[in-house]
Amino acid sequence: METAINIGFACSLLRQGMKQICITEMNSDTVAKDAKQAVKENILMQLTNASQMVKLEKDPHAAFALIIDGKTLTYTLEDDMKHQFLALAVDCASVICCRVSPKQKALVTRLVKEGTGKTTLAIGDGANDVGMIQEADIGVGISGVEGMQAVMASDFSISQFRFLEKLLVVHGHWCYKRIAQMICYFFYKNIAFGLTLFYFEAFTAFSGQSVYDDWYMLLFNVILTSLPVISLGVFEQDVSSEVCLQFPALYQQGPKNLFFDWYRILGWMGNGLYSSLIILFLNIIILYDQAFRAEGQTADMAAVGTTMFSCIICAVNCQIALTMSHFTWIQHLFVWGSIATWYLFLLLYGMISPIYSGNAYQILVEALGPAPLYWCTILLVTVSCNLPYLAHISFQRCFNPMDHHIIQEIKYYKKDVEDQQMWRRERSKARQETKIGLTVRVDAKIRQLRGKLNKKNATLTFHSCIAPPS
Amino acid sequence: MMTGETSSAPSGKTKSRKPKYSRFSQQELPACKPILTPGWVITAFLCVGIVFIPVGLATFFASERVVEVVDRYDQDCIPPEYRNDSLEYIQSTLTDKTCDRSLIVPKQMKGPVFIYYELDNFYQNHRRYVKSRSDKQLRSKASESDTDNCKPEAVTLSNAPIVPCGLVAWSLFNDTYGFSVKSKVLDVSKKNIAWKSDQEHKFGSDVYPKNFQSGTLIGGARLNSSIPLSEQVDLIVWMRTAALPTFRKLYGRIEVDLEANDIIEVTIKNNYNTYSFGGKKKLVLSTTSWIGGKNGFLGRAYLTVGGLSLLFAVGFIIIYVFKPRPLGDPSYLSWNRNPAGI
Repeated sequence: METAINIGFACSLLRQGMKQICITEMNSDTVAKDAKQAVKENILMQLTNASQMVKLEKDPHAAFALIIDGKTLTYTLEDDMKHQFLALAVDCASVICCRVSPKQKALVTRLVKEGTGKTTLAIGDGANDVGMIQEADIGVGISGVEGMQAVMASDFSISQFRFLEKLLVVHGHWCYKRIAQMICYFFYKNIAFGLTLFYFEAFTAFSGQSVYDDWYMLLFNVILTSLPVISLGVFEQDVSSEVCLQFPALYQQGPKNLFFDWYRILGWMGNGLYSSLIILFLNIIILYDQAFRAEGQTADMAAVGTTMFSCIICAVNCQIALTMSHFTWIQHLFVWGSIATWYLFLLLYGMISPIYSGNAYQILVEALGPAPLYWCTILLVTVSCNLPYLAHISFQRCFNPMDHHIIQEIKYYKKDVEDQQMWRRERSKARQETKIGLTVRVDAKIRQLRGKLNKKNATLTFHSCIAPPS
Repeated sequence: MMTGETSSAPSGKTKSRKPKYSRFSQQELPACKPILTPGWVITAFLCVGIVFIPVGLATFFASERVVEVVDRYDQDCIPPEYRNDSLEYIQSTLTDKTCDRSLIVPKQMKGPVFIYYELDNFYQNHRRYVKSRSDKQLRSKASESDTDNCKPEAVTLSNAPIVPCGLVAWSLFNDTYGFSVKSKVLDVSKKNIAWKSDQEHKFGSDVYPKNFQSGTLIGGARLNSSIPLSEQVDLIVWMRTAALPTFRKLYGRIEVDLEANDIIEVTIKNNYNTYSFGGKKKLVLSTTSWIGGKNGFLGRAYLTVGGLSLLFAVGFIIIYVFKPRPLGDPSYLSWNRNPAGI
């Protein structure tokens, strides 16, 4: 146990001024039947005393450390004692379990996971950590000296322990936002597309005739709208990685679930519903029964379907451009390229023989391209679909901004360079107060020295008051 | 298991296992990060308003310039003795289907004036109807017997293929219209009423109608079996299935101008049976503008969206004047707004 305590001091898990609670099993020489019971009772008594001590502590800066070894853990992990053990452990700032077997590591992780109901992360580098890594919600393996077993069993693997900070604060934060936005957008675009098919059935006596050509529907999710979503999910960054590291408070947007709550999900679905209504009804009413060109031709199902589909592609891709905040050349290529690909496809599809293209033969070149109505309709529908979302984000950003909006603005207007003091101040405020770690150890030392200095000053002035002036 | 550690190069230096740096893999690609400032918001909405309102006015007035005459004739063209038994009337071959109508031209209609027939409650977009045709057969004589999708109008009783097969062709519209004004007959041009690509590539010039409407149930027009399909323009126009149950199809063109208050005498052959399913038939004469036929909705929609956009821009400016938020102000950060909890 002493080794464990020394290591704890070395890595700032323990510090001077922390009260250490050591739970040990008493040495019992008797091999009597009730020896086990006696040991358990002793441990229970230790736990109860420690809990009392923690509860009665009044100093807000006080921290407790619980140190327990493997032999004792076998008793404390039994069903009748584990809840007290957990209650005590949760109150302590750090818990060190030494000489633990792999099975016990997994059991402790399970106890914390199920007892507190929180998300647990386990990090380890050896084969003996595999049980713990798999038990936790998130398992991180460190690849290196002890081999690759931990890496193979883990959800994430890093090469050095210090990369854990970046994994959580930068990649975890980005990943949360990316996945949340990607899923919401995916629902939106498929609802906007699928519901138009559904509404159109009301006009076809519910016979199941689709208004779009089969190839349009096939390509919708494969090429025409998938690449922008992928680029959103892979490259999107709300703030750069340096800012993420400087402002750990931004990470809290994830645990607080600000980006994937029901309000947002239903909002996106509502947006999809609204878009589908706009797309279908505007197209149907505009292309109703009158001629759509100066040469007098009326719009048949292929013309209506192609116009509607063009509107969907443009609206949905413009929507994702409004959602993104980080535009590399890849995003530009995918978003605008998807719209261009649609027109290219329509052109090429119209050029192949009508045996394969059917009514879409030359539809862009002959029927729709030269018709001003087609382009006017696309412009109107695209803007109508995106205007409410634009209004919503404008209002939210200007009158109810979120943290990353403010930080984006500070970086954009280079206020962090102009007013470095403000930047440093906000950075320090963005860190949560903890009880363990290097900074706390330094702060505690500073407090201690300051306390000593104040006492010294007090005694000096006292002496100078007493000493007779020479 | 010891992973291969730092491999010592012959020079004795240990090689670093750090992966090669690239901007792509470190997610540091050069990027533009646009910020939606109030300036941009107002600019965007004003732009939408400024672009849409003129476009809306242009399209609205273009549609207003179009002159349209619509005349529903299916009820009035039944002779009085058959008023209660329209089905008997329309299905009998002995009754006289000629019907004379008078249309008044409300405003001057500059040529070409387009003639449409409009059908209502006719579901050309029904799935089984749309399927019931054979594009292969229409294109070339060699595929004459490709009639699989065309049931029940695929083959005759003696298994000879029907050309063109299928319900779409079988239900070809067969009312005809003749126009005259001041006792002078107006020429109805049937040139260029079908899409050129249809005439040249989808309907073969070596395909002739065969066994068409030869069964007991006649669905519509008969076809002249000496004219190839690529020149049967009425059939070509009909075969382009419409998207909605109310649709118009181009019948022909009058090239001359029609003056205001002219009375056009129309001689209609009321052949087509829309009575058995409660459909309506209308004759439409219409001019076109650069935007097409008469539909003020596009113009009105543009004006509405442009107007709402301007309204939003103005509202945003007003609210921003009263409750401004300085950009990049750290007092709006959440830990400064409620210091109790982040």
